[in-house]
Amino acid sequence: MTRVTIPIGPQHPLLKEPLSFLLTVEGEEVMESVLRLGYVHRGIERLCQERTYVQNIPLIERVCGICSHVHTTTYCQGVEALSGLEVPPRGLYLRALMCEMERIHSHLLWLGVLSKNMGFDTIFMYAWRDREIVLDIMEELSGGRVSHAVNVVGGVRIDLDEEHARSILTRFDVLEQQVERALELIEYEPTLMARTQGVGILSPEQVRRYCVVGPVARASGVDIDLRRDLPRPPYDRLEFKVITHPAGDVWARTLVRVRETRESLHLCRQIIAQLPDGPTSVTAKRRVPEGEVVSRSEAPRGEVIYYIRSDDSDKPARLKIRTPTMTALITLPDQLRGATMADVPVVLSGVDLCIACADR
Amino acid sequence: MDVAAVVQALQAAFPDCDVAARAVSIDDTFVTLPVGALRTAIELLHERFDLYHLSTITGIDTGEAVEILYHFWDRRGLTLRIVLPYDALHVASVTDLIPGAAFYEREIIEMLDVMVEGHPDPRPMLLPDDWDEGAPLRKQTEAV
Repeated sequence: MTRVTIPIGPQHPLLKEPLSFLLTVEGEEVMESVLRLGYVHRGIERLCQERTYVQNIPLIERVCGICSHVHTTTYCQGVEALSGLEVPPRGLYLRALMCEMERIHSHLLWLGVLSKNMGFDTIFMYAWRDREIVLDIMEELSGGRVSHAVNVVGGVRIDLDEEHARSILTRFDVLEQQVERALELIEYEPTLMARTQGVGILSPEQVRRYCVVGPVARASGVDIDLRRDLPRPPYDRLEFKVITHPAGDVWARTLVRVRETRESLHLCRQIIAQLPDGPTSVTAKRRVPEGEVVSRSEAPRGEVIYYIRSDDSDKPARLKIRTPTMTALITLPDQLRGATMADVPVVLSGVDLCIACADR
Repeated sequence: MDVAAVVQALQAAFPDCDVAARAVSIDDTFVTLPVGALRTAIELLHERFDLYHLSTITGIDTGEAVEILYHFWDRRGLTLRIVLPYDALHVASVTDLIPGAAFYEREIIEMLDVMVEGHPDPRPMLLPDDWDEGAPLRKQTEAV
């Protein structure tokens, strides 16, 4: 059969962000795919070297348009370690609260995108409606729906009073019911299962070879989660399950992410219940002593790693960012090989790509 | 991963390696290796410690040399560092040992102008096709 090459992207209705694929197909079957990144490369790593540690926070917040808070958390965590700063417990708890709400918002957003791309608009509508609940809470706390500007070097700039906490908990009850409903759909809805089961399979061996992280790895039965494996306060004092599934297909990824949403809600409740008293931040010095540090966090998509080198000035000498999407992108040619054209949108959505993250 | 055991094994295999004390640690241990020892060291990590997860590769132009850092992780962090002098900016690819390193190595090539020998696909990944203003992360390249 003749081979045909089909370009997908960088501008394409299927993709919410610019990414280019060259798919070589024989009939309906994808034989080969070539990936091209860089359409939203902003040179953030170099720009960070030209700005001070404080100026870098708003810039780093813009690495990702979905999980912006975890990036500044990882960055601030690194700078704090270099400066020898101890963040007050209340600051750490509020940081974690935002991280978990961000995970809920990111997972629900992804569930919507996946459903839309496979033609299941009902789940899309529900998921995005329910996501508004956490977005509203985050906006009340920080003033921003997606870019929250919560972190400062040394802590957070937001606080939570009791009345607000009570109001948040009431809304969590509503959200919890909705998440349970979504889970029911995913576990029993035959059209969804037909569309996602056996599609985009990654074996544990492939996960290991490609150094994959986050829900994609966990949905292939690889039990990794930095919140548990690299416990820092407050996660060492909170109870949660690391969700895994052995199937390794898009369906397993859906299940893992929605179950994780439930765990995150559980974590948010614990954080609010245990919220310690005291200040939320300490003052940081402008200059950071010479040193280097590797800072890691569990973002909604998996391990985020920042390497920061300081040279006793007010600007970093080097700041390296690796976002979890990089690890998912590299598996795509393997996942797409042998898939039919109709499965391409499901495979691409299934790994939860954030191209702006990968391009930086 | 038992970091102390890994460091001991690396020191036994490469007597001139250096365990850095400069690093401020959240969790990582930094070990500087001779350039030629990199692949053997990674094979040792694979075989003896089952350490496969490469988080990323960082390249830094320090003004005196170019450092390449390989950040591994398995419940604890381990970073292998090699230092390349300006007159020998080439390093052996590790993509055949760790397929997940392919993108990180491509970044090193285009951002720091370091030759990664044996890389299966060394095309630019992030920069525009017609980029000719120098490697963005090198000191000599001015920020726009």
